[in-house]
Amino acid sequence: MNDSVIGRGTVVRGNVRGSGSLEILGRVEGDVSVTGELVLGEESAVRGSVTGSHITVAGAVQGDVRGSEAVLLERGARVVGDLTAPRIGVATGALVKGLVRTDGEPALGAPRRPAATIAARSPAFPARAPAAAPAPPKSEPRQPEPEEALESEPPAAPKDAKTAREIPPPPVVPALAKGAKAKKKKREE
Amino acid sequence: MAGTVIGEGLNIEGDVSSEEEVVVQGNLRGKLTTTDAVSVGSSAVIEADVSAQSLTIAGQVTGDVTAAERVDLQAGGRLIGDVKASRLTIADGASFKGNVDMDV
Repeated sequence: MNDSVIGRGTVVRGNVRGSGSLEILGRVEGDVSVTGELVLGEESAVRGSVTGSHITVAGAVQGDVRGSEAVLLERGARVVGDLTAPRIGVATGALVKGLVRTDGEPALGAPRRPAATIAARSPAFPARAPAAAPAPPKSEPRQPEPEEALESEPPAAPKDAKTAREIPPPPVVPALAKGAKAKKKKREE
Repeated sequence: MAGTVIGEGLNIEGDVSSEEEVVVQGNLRGKLTTTDAVSVGSSAVIEADVSAQSLTIAGQVTGDVTAAERVDLQAGGRLIGDVKASRLTIADGASFKGNVDMDV
């Protein structure tokens, strides 16, 4: 058996390294380095650098995270440290404080499978969904329709000439310099 | 499924403390403490003092061993170190060097 688990009720003070995959549900105070897949569960906490091939983080890491294949931060992940991997995914609700860098070559032959995994999980990674790109062209032709523009997009309303006329102009308040009233009184006397 | 599994190929240098069952198949150097059971697999190499509720050894352990309940040294197991436990079994074919303290 090559799969290792550091359970919820377990604390490791020292370095963990080796081959195969590892799942951390408890706490590690030290560096973690495996050659296989690494999963840091929701309630996990690691204080030290983390290295693996395909790293999924849902817990807390205080240290650098480096994946030779990918690093995925799920909702609830908290990372204080740098992220480095050829592919990096950060879900909404994940916190990162540090330098994020996608570099290094993806492992030969390997990259297709994890890419498919991300697509399947797209609700967890909305930023990666293609929705962001096609959305603007869709919304632009809608803007001329005044009703919809009024309802859904208040900032777009002034573009419509009719509505612009209906809105009263802002009241003009003469700016009086300090003491201007007093001067005026003096002049009148 | 055990709470913590240190699989074959995994190396830990340092202290491991736990409140759940620990299965060791890989290497551990340092210290291992748990309030539950510890199982040392045949591929495991441990250089550490081990303290547990109960302990089953089928691999190599170098270090003092303390169990609140029992220690079972199985055939093929190898233990170099002192044993402190109220119950101890040593299977035929196991290697053992050390003192035994059975709290009498």
